[in-house]
Amino acid sequence: MKSKIVNINVSKSLRSLGLYIIFIVMAVVNLFPILWSMLTSFKPIRDVLAYPPKIFNFMPSIEHYKEVFKNGFAHSVFISIGYSASSILIGLVLGLLFAYSIKRFNYPGRMIMFYMVLCGIPLSLGSAAMVIPNYIYFTNIGMIDKWYTLVLIYTAYNLPMAIWIIMGGIESVPIEVEESMRIDGVSRGYLIFGMVPRLCLPAMAAAALFIFIGAWNEYIASSVMVNSTNLKPIQVSIYDYLGFYGRQWGPLTASATAAVVPTLIVFTFLGKLLISGLTQGAVKE
Amino acid sequence: MIMRTIRKNYLGPLLAFPGFIVMFIILILPVGYTIFVSLFKCDYMQFTDFLWFDNYKSLLQDREIINALLRTFYVTIISAAISMVVGMLLAVWIDKCTGLFSYSIQLVGLIPWVTSMVVGALLWQWIMQKDLGLLNFVLGLFGIDRVDFLGNTTIALYSLIFVMTWRTIGYSMVMILAGLKGIPQTLLEASGIDGCNRFQTFYHVKVPLLKTPLLISSIVLTLSNFNNYVVPSALTAGGPGTSTTVITIIMYRMGFQYYNFGMASAVAFLIFMINLVMVVLYVKAVNYEI
Repeated sequence: MKSKIVNINVSKSLRSLGLYIIFIVMAVVNLFPILWSMLTSFKPIRDVLAYPPKIFNFMPSIEHYKEVFKNGFAHSVFISIGYSASSILIGLVLGLLFAYSIKRFNYPGRMIMFYMVLCGIPLSLGSAAMVIPNYIYFTNIGMIDKWYTLVLIYTAYNLPMAIWIIMGGIESVPIEVEESMRIDGVSRGYLIFGMVPRLCLPAMAAAALFIFIGAWNEYIASSVMVNSTNLKPIQVSIYDYLGFYGRQWGPLTASATAAVVPTLIVFTFLGKLLISGLTQGAVKE
Repeated sequence: MIMRTIRKNYLGPLLAFPGFIVMFIILILPVGYTIFVSLFKCDYMQFTDFLWFDNYKSLLQDREIINALLRTFYVTIISAAISMVVGMLLAVWIDKCTGLFSYSIQLVGLIPWVTSMVVGALLWQWIMQKDLGLLNFVLGLFGIDRVDFLGNTTIALYSLIFVMTWRTIGYSMVMILAGLKGIPQTLLEASGIDGCNRFQTFYHVKVPLLKTPLLISSIVLTLSNFNNYVVPSALTAGGPGTSTTVITIIMYRMGFQYYNFGMASAVAFLIFMINLVMVVLYVKAVNYEI
């Protein structure tokens, strides 16, 4: 009897040891490039290309950050924050209205709307096929290289996913709650804009998170839809530094680090929402 | 769901209208317009000759484009397959964990998915440099000779597949894990009582119940890899030679380097049609009712 217990404990601890090993390997592979880039970005210029690579034996310096931010990187950061914030705001309002309409009303064409959203989801997870169509069409109607161009693009690309997530949120609000509120004399406008978002707050936050990640990380459409330097978002700036600085890895890693840190901070706090958004529809309840 | 609030007024369509307009103008209308443009000779946005299907003909006769298309399929499918298999193994392994550990492993797994592709590809390029890259330094510690990860035509393709897979393993893991957590415990107990061993339980009970997440994630990953322009472009820029030139790079060059928008539209339409097949499969797989 006793030996059996010991046996179970051994296999259990072996199992958890295996889990820790997997976790560590995964953390190394996934986090390592980012950590290494952070480390590189703080190295003084003569240590960046040192071989063998220096891990800790260098004097940290922020010269690369200074150089990058001197060359207009700060402007890209601000404009990207502006693009993301506007896209989140517009996307949430439009997404809420659209999802509410599909979930709570019945009208001809509702199914078409629903399938439009469903078809848009995989496209919003990465579609280069839309770049040429968008570019040609926007050029011909004269909407290229304007301050609102990328806001519209980001909003439209991420709207299907946002609608999909908010639909899941609205589903979790029992219709009886809404009906009793209506009976209590709550106006429909306050119901839609005040109560429903409050009742499905996690879904709204998850939708906002998806729009943020989509807008902040978008590169290919941004690279062709705007040409003016003062409209370029952050990813385009980083990519341009690849040509601009050649193989100067100091400034490159500094700009990459500066771009990745906001996403990681947001993601660490709201990761649960991201996971719930991603897996929605994949699991039958 | 029972529709208890059928109203005769126009509030429903009215609420959906703004979102519909945005999606229609930016996602649907341009595609129609592209089909139209692809029938023209269109250099530098000047529509000169109406060519009927000549653009498509020359597209299908161009060895370089066909090769790029085949290469894209190869990269896409290999990367998605590896990602699914490894994601599945990881998910099954960590299925038993609960609480903080399970959450943090998912969080770490998803980091490459939320990191921008420009940054991810850029950092891997830095690590895979031949002379000064960290990867070769680490290999050197084990006595392995330097590998030219991005300069050798064969290895570069696999470096590309590696970076693409790196990005997506976490996604498939999280999707499959969500599916595993959704399997009722009673079914697993029942299969145990019926005398299934672990493997039989996995193959005959879990896998069929995981059909939806498996389908969805493989479709999404295929689509995402197939449409990926940023990673190949930032990692190898299609080189060396044409060894990593995928179809999206061809499309981008056709449009924004040669300004041949007729051909670029034809390629874009081809990509779009392949996407459409995937999207139809996706809609079928999601199997969601409103």
